[in-house]
Amino acid sequence: MRFILLLLVLAIATVLLNPFLQFWMMMIVIAVVSALSKVKPMAAFFAGGLGMGLVWLAMSMYLMMSTGSPLADRMGELMGIGNGIMLAGITSILGFLLGGFSALSGSTFRNIWRAKSKNIYRG
Amino acid sequence: MKYIGFLFVLVLTVGLGFLVSIPLGSIPPIAPLLDPFHGFWPNSQSEHELAQEELKLSNLSAPVTVVYDQNLIPHIFAENEADLYRAQGYVTAQHRLWQMDFQTMAAAGRISEIVGSVALDLDRITRRKGLAYGAELGLKHLQENDPQTYAMAEAYADGVNQYIDQLETAQLPVEYKILNYKPEHWSTYKSLLLLKYMSDMLVGDRDLEFSNLRKILGQEMLDKLFPAYPSQLDPVIESGKLWDFEPVAISKPDSIDYPSHPLVIDPLPQPAEGAGSNNWAVSGSKTKNGHPILSNDPHLGLNLPSLWYAMQLTTPEYSAKGATLPGALGVISGFNQNIAWGVTNATKDARDWYKITFQNQSRKAYKYGKEWKKTDFRIEEIKIKGQEAFLDTVVYTHYGPVVYDRSFGSDRQDVNFALKWTVHMGSNEQKTFMELNKAKNHSDYNEALNYYVAPAQNFVFASRSGDIAMRIQGKFPLKWEGQGKFFMDGADPRMEWQGYIPNEHNPSTLNPDRGFVSSANQHPTDQTYPYYVFDNSYEHYRNRRLNSRLAEMSAITVDDMKALQFDDYYTLASEALPVLMDLLADSTITDPKAKEYLASLKSWDFYADPNQKAPTLFHIWWEETHQHIWKEWKEFGAPVVKPNNFRTVELLKNEADSSVFDLKKTKQIEKAKDHVKIGFEMMLEKMKKWETEEGDYAWAAYKKTSIQHLVPQFSSFSVKNVYTGGGSGILNATSGRNGASWRLVVELGEQMNAFGIYPGGQSGNPGSKFYGNFIPIWANGEYVDFKFRTQDQTEGMLFKTILKD
Repeated sequence: MRFILLLLVLAIATVLLNPFLQFWMMMIVIAVVSALSKVKPMAAFFAGGLGMGLVWLAMSMYLMMSTGSPLADRMGELMGIGNGIMLAGITSILGFLLGGFSALSGSTFRNIWRAKSKNIYRG
Repeated sequence: MKYIGFLFVLVLTVGLGFLVSIPLGSIPPIAPLLDPFHGFWPNSQSEHELAQEELKLSNLSAPVTVVYDQNLIPHIFAENEADLYRAQGYVTAQHRLWQMDFQTMAAAGRISEIVGSVALDLDRITRRKGLAYGAELGLKHLQENDPQTYAMAEAYADGVNQYIDQLETAQLPVEYKILNYKPEHWSTYKSLLLLKYMSDMLVGDRDLEFSNLRKILGQEMLDKLFPAYPSQLDPVIESGKLWDFEPVAISKPDSIDYPSHPLVIDPLPQPAEGAGSNNWAVSGSKTKNGHPILSNDPHLGLNLPSLWYAMQLTTPEYSAKGATLPGALGVISGFNQNIAWGVTNATKDARDWYKITFQNQSRKAYKYGKEWKKTDFRIEEIKIKGQEAFLDTVVYTHYGPVVYDRSFGSDRQDVNFALKWTVHMGSNEQKTFMELNKAKNHSDYNEALNYYVAPAQNFVFASRSGDIAMRIQGKFPLKWEGQGKFFMDGADPRMEWQGYIPNEHNPSTLNPDRGFVSSANQHPTDQTYPYYVFDNSYEHYRNRRLNSRLAEMSAITVDDMKALQFDDYYTLASEALPVLMDLLADSTITDPKAKEYLASLKSWDFYADPNQKAPTLFHIWWEETHQHIWKEWKEFGAPVVKPNNFRTVELLKNEADSSVFDLKKTKQIEKAKDHVKIGFEMMLEKMKKWETEEGDYAWAAYKKTSIQHLVPQFSSFSVKNVYTGGGSGILNATSGRNGASWRLVVELGEQMNAFGIYPGGQSGNPGSKFYGNFIPIWANGEYVDFKFRTQDQTEGMLFKTILKD
């Protein structure tokens, strides 16, 4: 449940903030949100990865489909990776890795803090 | 343990983030490029999908309305000229920013800043030719002599810069994203630099090659193979024109000592073959509706984004419409409510080379007559991406820059030549176009042309009041017979240009009896013109086809003029093929393929239409024969030019047994027919290879017309194998990489009836629908409507934007 919630929050954050923030700023946002959530590291990794990766996939597919522009195919050819669909795939994998590792960083950071607080609580 | 886990993940994350944000070799930073919110993806949107009803443009005195028609051609309605040019800068930058920026970087010799050291030699030669130096002088000239034009150019630059400052990363042109750099602010200087860039594109010289040929062949043979005027002269200004002026006297030195070193340096890159143009105007007496019709099609390298950008520019005083150059003010080739005008290149050996004798190694002084003249040093700092800047010292003499010296382009320490070129003189070409935009009649046109220096153009003119005119305008040096054809000795003051031909003495004509004026880059005049005229690149084919068609046509319509721009008649073939066939007749042909080809050639009507096969056969046969006749010239060990097609055909026809055909290194004595036979055999060989590898040899499939992106490596942004006819030396001059870069036909009636097209599209964005949408129309010889639009006309409107403070 928390996983789904985090995924949604991160996806929405990407949709709303990415238009104004560079990709590395988005990485910080995702790390901070993940650190504030109680999701475990591995789950956070997938929530962040899917959150950013799916939004990147959706956005690139949307731009390609809605405009009917040949640009993605031309870029794919230029970069030597075939067509626009392939390039949208690569874009989403990149988004997945960036989002995933950012969320993992946030979550593992929280882990340190959580461990400490547990000790205080028990002591 | 948890600390270590966190640190490990953190390092991995930061490392990943870093790795995707830096360039890896030639691969640009991958995350900024692929980020669907900021990278290349948003560039998939076309302009109408991003249209806004209102945009902010400061420093306007009143709001400006911009109406885009269905082809994204902007129609700007402004209250005054300053607002108009500010809006022109803004709107042009919206669609063509990268191209404007890149072309002026190229003109300034700054490509290394973008792509690294691979462009260093290109940048050095650009700077050593002094294009930027010429633009600096032009800027000074403008500031001192023409504050009005300067203020307009500043307004234009401000418009461009306001757009750059508003530009969000998402809409940054995709080329910046791939090459990983940012646009630079525009300036008046850059507008001037762009016009210098045009000069560089259009002007060449063959002084080096002719100097070599003179030494190798001797003056007599040189004159035989390169006659100053061809036998079938058909000049720009009609033959028989009387010159009603007293020419300026020119004194020729008694004896001339040309520098006689063997010259093995590489010549400067020359304008591409086939870079030329047609323009003409027919008077109302020859047209169906009784109105003059004007046509213009400049031929240049076929590139994307296109060199041209269509616009209508309107103030309460006037409306001008036609093709603009992104970066320059006003319309360059077009019409207003009263007149129409167009340009073709009118080169006339505008560049000369002087041998410089330095006093010593310090190169601080050079010999000039009996004295030593001081040099200037200009240090060119060439910034290189990812490396330290390169400093290049260029020596300037009173002639101009020393292009080749010990540090550049030569193995020989003593090769020091200074380049004298009209492009280095302060001038105000911009004003010519601004004045033409609002000219009302022939005298306004003449007045506007007086400001024009370089690159020299044949300016065609027609007015609604019924006048047609042609004037060859540029700043032409006064030269004695033969001056500047070869390298000259810079130490001898007698070699100096003796001033300039006064503007009133430049060849011109108004309403000639023949009922039309025309130009196609041929000789400007017949031999009666009292000044020396020389250039190696004069056209011998398009001009004769054009004039003979115009002479025989009557009741001409706009459609006739469109058809003439798209005329595929291959005059060279019509004259050379019968000669080749005759000379081949002695040989016995048994090969069935050869018989098939000959049959195809015999039944050919000499039109180089895209589906025809004969033009391919002829073209290869001719090229191979021409190559073979002059093949020993390649072994001279020095750069030379070969006799042109026209002269070669003439020799084949009239002097088939002449010694010019003998190859000195072979035992037997070759005659014309031997070369023709070998040319034919080579053609068979090449055709065999072509048919095996490529199959179809129809003309379009063979010549492979392609429209290339300005960065040739971005091949997927280019449009290849366009199905269209024509070729070099044909009125429809579309060869592989060159051709009609803009076609305009205007009928000057009550209402201007105008049509235009160019091989590209209004948008410079390879993701836009308007990037290449004109290409299929252009390739079919069709046009889009270029009639004036009014501000409130909604028919055929794409969208409308108000620019206001």
